[in-house]
Amino acid sequence: MTRSPYASSASRRQFLALSAGVAATTALAAAGCSAPGDGASAAEAAGASEGRRTLTKIGLDYPFTQLPLYATLVKLSTAAAKKRDVSLLTTSDASSADTQATNLTTWVTQKVPAIVSFPMVFEATEAIAKRALDAGLIWVTYGGSLEHQSADIQFSFLKGGTLLGEAAAKWANEELGGKGKVAFLTDSTIQLGRERTKGMIDAFTKLAPGVDVVAQEQAIDPDTGLSKSRAVLAKHPDLNLILGVTDAAAYGGFKALQQTGRKATDAKTFVGGQDGAAPSLLAIKQGTFYRASAALAPQDIANAVVDVPLAVAAGKSNPSAQVPITLVGRGDTASIDDLLAQNA
Amino acid sequence: MTTATTAPAGRLTPSPRALAGGGLNALRRHPLLLVLALMVLVFQLTTGSFLDPGNLRGIATDAATLAIVAVPLALLVISGYLDLSVGSTLALGGLVAGWLAGQQHQSPAVAVLGALAVGAAVGAVNGILCCYFGLSAFIVTLGMLTAVRGLAQQLFPLPLSSFGSGFAWLGGSRIAGIDAPVFIAALVLVAGALFLALAPSGRHVFAIGVNREAAYLSGINIRRTPYALFVVTGVAAALAGAIKASVLDSVVAGTSGAGFELTVLTAVLLGGVALTGGSGSILGVLLGVLFLGCLQNGLTLLSVPTFWQQMAQGTALVAGAALAYFGPRLTR
Repeated sequence: MTRSPYASSASRRQFLALSAGVAATTALAAAGCSAPGDGASAAEAAGASEGRRTLTKIGLDYPFTQLPLYATLVKLSTAAAKKRDVSLLTTSDASSADTQATNLTTWVTQKVPAIVSFPMVFEATEAIAKRALDAGLIWVTYGGSLEHQSADIQFSFLKGGTLLGEAAAKWANEELGGKGKVAFLTDSTIQLGRERTKGMIDAFTKLAPGVDVVAQEQAIDPDTGLSKSRAVLAKHPDLNLILGVTDAAAYGGFKALQQTGRKATDAKTFVGGQDGAAPSLLAIKQGTFYRASAALAPQDIANAVVDVPLAVAAGKSNPSAQVPITLVGRGDTASIDDLLAQNA
Repeated sequence: MTTATTAPAGRLTPSPRALAGGGLNALRRHPLLLVLALMVLVFQLTTGSFLDPGNLRGIATDAATLAIVAVPLALLVISGYLDLSVGSTLALGGLVAGWLAGQQHQSPAVAVLGALAVGAAVGAVNGILCCYFGLSAFIVTLGMLTAVRGLAQQLFPLPLSSFGSGFAWLGGSRIAGIDAPVFIAALVLVAGALFLALAPSGRHVFAIGVNREAAYLSGINIRRTPYALFVVTGVAAALAGAIKASVLDSVVAGTSGAGFELTVLTAVLLGGVALTGGSGSILGVLLGVLFLGCLQNGLTLLSVPTFWQQMAQGTALVAGAALAYFGPRLTR
């Protein structure tokens, strides 16, 4: 299959979605996290109608197979499923919405008892989810909510951006006296990217109004982050902060700053991203000016992938999960080590 | 087709008229040069910093990996073939180099050689299937694009990073005052131009691209040269991957080089290389590479919003391609 002329934007989306996945979540439904209204009511309805049953098989449909999170998620989810005597099936959607629809339809036809799906196009997946519920299957929506679902696994993309923006603003106020220049590496192509971007920019500009915003550039991968940051640095060599909608993009900015002569430990520079990607975590741990990442724990997501459908099968009234996002910085060595171990 | 412009025998210094005529000829053959000059002028006037040395250095470094792959790919296209697998080969090359340097603690030379070997292997498979078995280059390399990406993800499912200061030399050092990637790209460009202009095999590339049967009847080995070009293209893609890995000190199997095959093909075609084979020049390829690099950089400097950037890039590409196509015909 050939790539479209807009492959670069597609890859950005995939990357971001991957991140989203990473961020995703956790916690067992039993923790009682609140779910979106629609999801909760649907879950209750599904739970009531389904009663208690035993699950032996869960299908995980994560479409962005090119993202590092995919391999990590499959590995951790398989292990989590095995602990609960459940086998895990996976799809290979290759980031194609059409392929995803075909694979999900096949699972519904084969009556895979529980499906956890991250829809690439939520509206297009609604009909398949309805068919799954009509067939008596459990449908768990990953990364959002559908009208027809048993439960969902949610992440707050806005919160991740907000955490990063707040941390960067606090640093700018303390270290730069509230002055300086910031560049944002953003994403406006998909919903979760827009939410992360909004959280990041709104929080930063509100708390550090004296810092000049000199650029807002679309970038979610390291190559683009590098080249865009280089261009911005050519115009603003005294740039102090680069905040990324993904760690991958921010890491490109981190490298661009170093290549323009900035010392890796420069006290007047701040780079931060979102996802908790391994290269960024290592840079934070090493004490460089890559100072923060709004991170998602893959183990939390993997647990939710298994536990939410099991909770639905057990007839729990509110089985949905909200995966937490935490900000990790230089002092959070234990958290960084834990995240790196999950990604190993 | 490249044409060599040579001064009459015994005349060492061309007259101003000859120089002017040569310049006009160059513009006729490469109208993209005019577009590029106009674009640079507009970007400089509107941003005030486009021609700053630091920015030009950034453009050159960004364009270097593109040029390294564009040159052999252009030769392949001139010979009537195509390689769409370069994006995945780039990723695999970068991963192998990073793995050898970072996890196996091999010397940078071994890491780069490992990457080149992998690139050569991918190119050899492409070349054997296309040149000796006669399969469609489009289909074969499209298949390899997917297969090699899958292999890369299977072998390296997690991102690789921290390759050590030795390996950083490849992407971060300077040779004769020039960034190493740019220096390597310059070598590749010069080698490509000399090959086309001076080597018998270079002339064979054109002959095979114009008419394979006629070339065969003329005694040219119509398999060996394109096969070698497939191998060289694979090697170049892997080298570009190693350079990118060195510059970024990290590689991700699923996303590294994604879409690169179309970017490099765009540069080649913008530079006037005919997709049907038989014509093209390395100067044109260089212009195509610079055009893409300057366009991307200038739009960023102007802080053009994302979707407007996409529209502007698409429009500029179509305009550049149209000028490259119609320009020579209008000025005949």
